[in-house]
Amino acid sequence: MQVVEAPPIMDTMISVRGICKCFASNLVLKGIDLDVRSGEVVALIGGNGAGKSTLMKIIMGIYQQDKGDIFLSGEKVNLTKPALALAHGIYLVPQEPMLFPNMSVEENITLGFKDKKNELHTKILSIMEQLGWKLKLDRKADTLSIAEQQLVEILRGLLRNAKILILDEPTSSLTFNEVESLFTLIEDLKNKGISIFYITHRLTEVFEIATHVAIMRDGVITLKGPVGEFTKDDLIKGLLPPNTNLKTTQKSEVLDYTKLKPILELKNFTGYGFKDINLEVCSGEVLGVAGVVGAGRTEFATTIFGMDEFISGQVILDGEEITGLSTRTVLDKGLNYLPEDRHLNGIFKIGDAASNISSAHLRNLSKFFLNKKAEVALGEKYIKDFRIKVTGQNQIMGSLSGGNQQKIAIARVLSTSPKVVILDEPTRGVDAGARGDVYAIISQLKKQGVAVLLISSDFEEIVELSDRVVTMYQGRINHRFSKNQIDLDNLTAASFGVYEEENVQ
Amino acid sequence: MKTLKNALKAREISSLIFLITIFLLVGAINPNFLQIKNLFLIFNGSIVYVLLAVGIAFVIISGEIDVSIGATLGLSAAVSATLLRDGNSWIVAVIAALIVGATVGLINGIGVTILKVPSIIMTLGINGVVRGLSYVYTNGKWVENVPYAFKSISQATMLNSLTYFFSGALVVVFIVHMLLNKTGRGRYFAAVGDNQCGAQLIGIPVDSTKIKAFIICGIFAAIAGVIYVSRVGFVTPMAGNGYEMKAIAACVLGGISLTGGLGTVVGAAIGAVIMSSISRVLVFLQFSSDYDNTITGILLIIIVVADALIQRRVTENARRERLSARTLSDKGGYNNA
Repeated sequence: MQVVEAPPIMDTMISVRGICKCFASNLVLKGIDLDVRSGEVVALIGGNGAGKSTLMKIIMGIYQQDKGDIFLSGEKVNLTKPALALAHGIYLVPQEPMLFPNMSVEENITLGFKDKKNELHTKILSIMEQLGWKLKLDRKADTLSIAEQQLVEILRGLLRNAKILILDEPTSSLTFNEVESLFTLIEDLKNKGISIFYITHRLTEVFEIATHVAIMRDGVITLKGPVGEFTKDDLIKGLLPPNTNLKTTQKSEVLDYTKLKPILELKNFTGYGFKDINLEVCSGEVLGVAGVVGAGRTEFATTIFGMDEFISGQVILDGEEITGLSTRTVLDKGLNYLPEDRHLNGIFKIGDAASNISSAHLRNLSKFFLNKKAEVALGEKYIKDFRIKVTGQNQIMGSLSGGNQQKIAIARVLSTSPKVVILDEPTRGVDAGARGDVYAIISQLKKQGVAVLLISSDFEEIVELSDRVVTMYQGRINHRFSKNQIDLDNLTAASFGVYEEENVQ
Repeated sequence: MKTLKNALKAREISSLIFLITIFLLVGAINPNFLQIKNLFLIFNGSIVYVLLAVGIAFVIISGEIDVSIGATLGLSAAVSATLLRDGNSWIVAVIAALIVGATVGLINGIGVTILKVPSIIMTLGINGVVRGLSYVYTNGKWVENVPYAFKSISQATMLNSLTYFFSGALVVVFIVHMLLNKTGRGRYFAAVGDNQCGAQLIGIPVDSTKIKAFIICGIFAAIAGVIYVSRVGFVTPMAGNGYEMKAIAACVLGGISLTGGLGTVVGAAIGAVIMSSISRVLVFLQFSSDYDNTITGILLIIIVVADALIQRRVTENARRERLSARTLSDKGGYNNA
């Protein structure tokens, strides 16, 4: 990954040099160099937290870089706010369209312009005609489909004579036909000499639409160049951590499935954000659920847990149907869920350690008054078992380290003695030491015969812990791997939708 | 769903219908209510609330709230009343009041945008400060002896019995409505309240738009204060106390969404007429007008809750639609290991 420090070139539309960005003490971008020329489409790919969005937000003037420079047509610019980036012809189409829901389409497009209304109106119509789009300008934005909202966003950019368009996962909420028309549009824009940053999670799209590709991982660009120079395998390699020996990751032994009984079964389970999920989890196994952000993994877990409505299908826990039951009932039946975002859903920050551990178990600890002795015993058990570092049970949760908070969150999940636990990103934001402890806890659970559904974007973690893996892609399970097939390479490829249509046995 | 959407589109119209319905109902019980004289009394009496509601509409449409307008009205009324009492020209009094209102608005705006204090807390604090200043400024005494010439302006009428003040307010509402809805700058307020991040992304200055909204709100409260002096003729240290609730309720009743981005000042004005008519309605129905504030509060809560329920449904549906769009519509490759 030698990136040669190139001087800014006059014929580039935009060049960035040595961009660094730090959030708190976390270095998110570590010296990014990137050039885009007129009419190029640069596909920017990378896993979660690779720094793609941060880079784009810096270019858009939403964040300011700590180090490094941005050159537009060879000229150094200082983009301190979005208005400046707009004035320079840069336009970001965010992943989730940012329209004004209570305004009409026309207002949404023209807001912020000082030109005459009639002129803008005819200009919009002529752009739409050029592109062959049909969209009623007097519709209210909240009646638009996601695809239509995206069209409005792009129209906004075009009306501003944008020379550099940033498309952040534009296809993530589009249907197949809509994707086709978007690609036609991008071809058009390409021919007009507009430069495009195209952020995506779908490797197949790269070869379809991009002229260049840049892969980001952990805040650096690991690979870049014209698309023609690479194969899909090259791209996957660029996404993987350096020096990974793909086949030698340490694994536990293969389970004997003839002795295991499925405890949780999903049959054509469909909800908002996922569709036709079929899977079985056995007592005493860890089933990994891999995929990229937005693949529908969390939605599927929270729906099982009764936090969201399902559409169709069945969830069967230990022979009993629990589809669509309330969270409280699902908990009582023996399934518990560790949420993805610890701070948002997982802990009571100003409570103490003991009350956090016991909080899911309160109904069993109390008739009316809380049985304090039982609470203390419960707390002691987990603090010892999980090696949670606290000064005492009454230490306030918010003052603990991320790793210890997470262990307490897991302890709470386990305090209800579940038969099945769903762990959603259990080691996100957890330091290396505590991560090892969390892994040990998961292995121990497995030994005790608990079925574990492990959702993680950290594929190394999935490889290390899982007995079987399913990958989710665009809301569906697109691949299943048995123990001996699990490796980083396969998981990455499947998560980015590469061998969607293939069968690997 | 379609009728619901149509109803939402014409939010002012539904408040107007509400207004007419109330008047007709009360008129059916007590025909005296519908006498022209009484109706004019109601319209003329609503002017202070109309001005307050129009001002606070800017703040609410921008997605914030201002509960200090009652106190701002009180202080600017006290200031202008003392200046008039001491023989200054009405121009001086009006300018002084406007300065008071604009300053309070500026402080509120800076607190909310730059210091990032939630607007309900910021303006609640300022409400206390300004109310306190009213007491300090007047030594806790009433300001009386406002010149008759100034008081009589509020009595001057045109077209039979419509006061100049009320006709003037109608013109102001119309002009402000045009500025707010038909100009690019005017739409900034709604844009900021509708989707703050989106507004930022297309280069709308979010902070200065909000500060402007608070200043406009303060200025309208000050104008309302001057009119209050002319109508009432004296100012107590508690003048305007509780008016903020009436003004907020007026906005909500007029179809302005408390989450921002939606509504018009015409709606706010209609809401204000309804609000100020409540006490007269009670009298004509032979209830004690002591129920006035209670009924205002209940109305406010009912409308806000109904609005919130609709809003929640809309956002939940949008979220689900977004999630569903993400899933593959055709069957992907399945492979059972």
